[in-house]
Amino acid sequence: MSFSQNTGHAAPFPRLSILLHWVMAALIIVMLFVGLVMAHDSTIHYAGLFTLHRTVGFLILLLVIVRLINRFTNRTPTLPDDLPAPMKLAAHLSHILLYGFMIALPLVGWAMLSAGGYPITLWGGCHIPPLMGFHPHLWGALRCLHSLLAYGLILLIIAHIGAALLHGVIRRDGVMGSMLGR
Amino acid sequence: MAHSPRKGSPARWAAVVLPPLCLGGLMAWTAGVFRPPSISPSHFMQRFHNAGALGDGFRRAHAKGMCVTGWFDPSPKGQALSRSGIFKGEHLPVMGRFSLAPPLPYLPDNPAVARSLALQILSPKGDDWRMALVDVPLQSMRDIADAYAFFGAAKLDPATHKPDPVAVQTYAVQRPWLKTAFEQAKAHKQTSDLTNDSYNSLDSFILTDSTGKKTAVRWSVVAKEPFAPAEGSGANDGNYLFKRLVQTLDQRPLSWDIVATIARDGDPVNDPSQPWDAADQKVTVGTVTFTKAYSEDESPCGPMVFDPTILPDGISVSDDPLLALRSSVYMRSYATRSAEHKAPSMVTPGDVTNPTLTPDGKGQ
Ligand code: HEM
Ligand code: HEM
Ligand code: HEM
Repeated sequence: MSFSQNTGHAAPFPRLSILLHWVMAALIIVMLFVGLVMAHDSTIHYAGLFTLHRTVGFLILLLVIVRLINRFTNRTPTLPDDLPAPMKLAAHLSHILLYGFMIALPLVGWAMLSAGGYPITLWGGCHIPPLMGFHPHLWGALRCLHSLLAYGLILLIIAHIGAALLHGVIRRDGVMGSMLGR
Repeated sequence: MAHSPRKGSPARWAAVVLPPLCLGGLMAWTAGVFRPPSISPSHFMQRFHNAGALGDGFRRAHAKGMCVTGWFDPSPKGQALSRSGIFKGEHLPVMGRFSLAPPLPYLPDNPAVARSLALQILSPKGDDWRMALVDVPLQSMRDIADAYAFFGAAKLDPATHKPDPVAVQTYAVQRPWLKTAFEQAKAHKQTSDLTNDSYNSLDSFILTDSTGKKTAVRWSVVAKEPFAPAEGSGANDGNYLFKRLVQTLDQRPLSWDIVATIARDGDPVNDPSQPWDAADQKVTVGTVTFTKAYSEDESPCGPMVFDPTILPDGISVSDDPLLALRSSVYMRSYATRSAEHKAPSMVTPGDVTNPTLTPDGKGQ
């Protein structure tokens, strides 16, 4: 497979990459809202939301592994030649960070509930083994880290969507299209 | 199309900036920003603080306590009601925590205060059953709004260091649906000791048997020790309740029956403030026996959380709104206190090794 690099018609991402990108984007946005509601609203739906949060969290962890394997076994379309070097760097760094957060958030969620001595059961009754033993101090710290990571991911996603729209609406250089399959 | 002259028009810039800003704004709104204060776990933390919770690594409620360990022996009747691994017949380890209900970690023991018991029963297969029970007969709140108002009324008056009686009275008067709960609390005969007290889940749970049949129950952990009244049983020692429990355990094990009250049609399962039919069937599903006491500063029961929604397969939560609330608020209390440096508990390791009553009036 070869990708042309002219500014107007960047080649699209492979189909599987596009599918994974949009499915995971939707799941992650749902997860962020569910987490925020759990932590900032007293709702009678807490148990159900928490089960959803754990289940989708582990689904995301699984998908991100598939996505990374797919990413390293496929070529990724290059960014337009006329994109200034600092913007290219920002794009690459932000994508690495996005992957980092997608891995770290569910791992920290898993670790913190393990450290806190909470059993981890998914929707349907599947039981996840703890990542570590009972460490209450670590639970307190990791719970805090989970929030900080989530807030970091929110800021990054806002910037990422802004940048995608900048490519799609202002620069119209085909980068947006590369993730839409065009 | 590729080179539209209006490439940088305001409308196009709006299309770039507005969608991410809206998403961010919606997330901030969900997190409670730009919203009139709604009821959240951190608002409950604030109310516990106003009601005397110290921080310092203590639980935000039921702050003063002591740990015990022992065993659970199920009865065959438990297995008939629930397929849980807890009731399979094995002799299982139990960790318990006796506590005083208020958020005050240095409250001197006295006959008037409500007491509580938390339990964790573990099976070798990993079944984990946690309970948090109190010795009052009915819950004096029925939903999240009641709970929020209730802990608001518990705010300590800075002058008297006691809740304002008018606020407590107003809470009760404004809620005619809690009339029975308050009447029963008043009629409740407090016992002399932690050892002969009985403790109730108040909230309801659903048991599922091996065929999938569901039964709604309320739990009681019923003392086997004989009743003695609280009147005149106090002692001039700030830890007399806990020390007398240690003294008894030094002599002999102490047992409680775990009793399920089975709901009949019409019993309100989602409202812990309402009584169930007095003729409801009561089934003893097993017995807990405690053999040894520890200060919570030297036992894992101190730092752990007894979230009543942590349940094994075969036991699940009912649609009682307070169970959902408790799970989220216990988690917040647990996370906050776990990140704090813990001050020494009022019941010290020394009190457990030498439980002689001394008129020390600690914490007064
Ligand atoms: C939850 C949200 C999202 C996450 C976690 C996310 C993550 C990512 C990651 C990691 C990449 C890099 C792909 C790679 O090179 O391997 C990427 C690329 C991309 N994303 Fe997203 N994304 C999200 C939402 C969105 C949204 C809402 C849009 C559109 C408005 C979007 C548009 C794009 C585009 C156009 C690219 C291609 C960039 C390029 O060609 O290098 N993403 N996304
Ligand atoms: C991509 C995955 C995940 C995302 C995006 C995510 C996001 C969030 C967010 C935004 C919050 C609210 C933080 C706050 O405002 O304080 C939260 C809380 C939480 N998350 Fe996650 N999370 C993820 C995975 C997980 C996993 C896998 C688990 C557990 C196995 C988990 C357990 C929790 C818990 C226990 C809370 C606290 C809820 C409360 O305070 O009531 N998360 N998460
Ligand atoms: C049926 C009603 C309730 C019962 C039987 C009950 C019982 C208990 C017991 C026994 C404990 C002590 C657990 C231990 O020793 O670790 C406890 C802790 C606690 N309770 Fe409740 N409770 C009830 C309702 C509530 C409600 C409605 C709230 C507030 C929303 C609340 C807030 C707390 C908090 C914050 C803790 C400390 C949690 C921790 O840090 O571990 N409780 N409860």
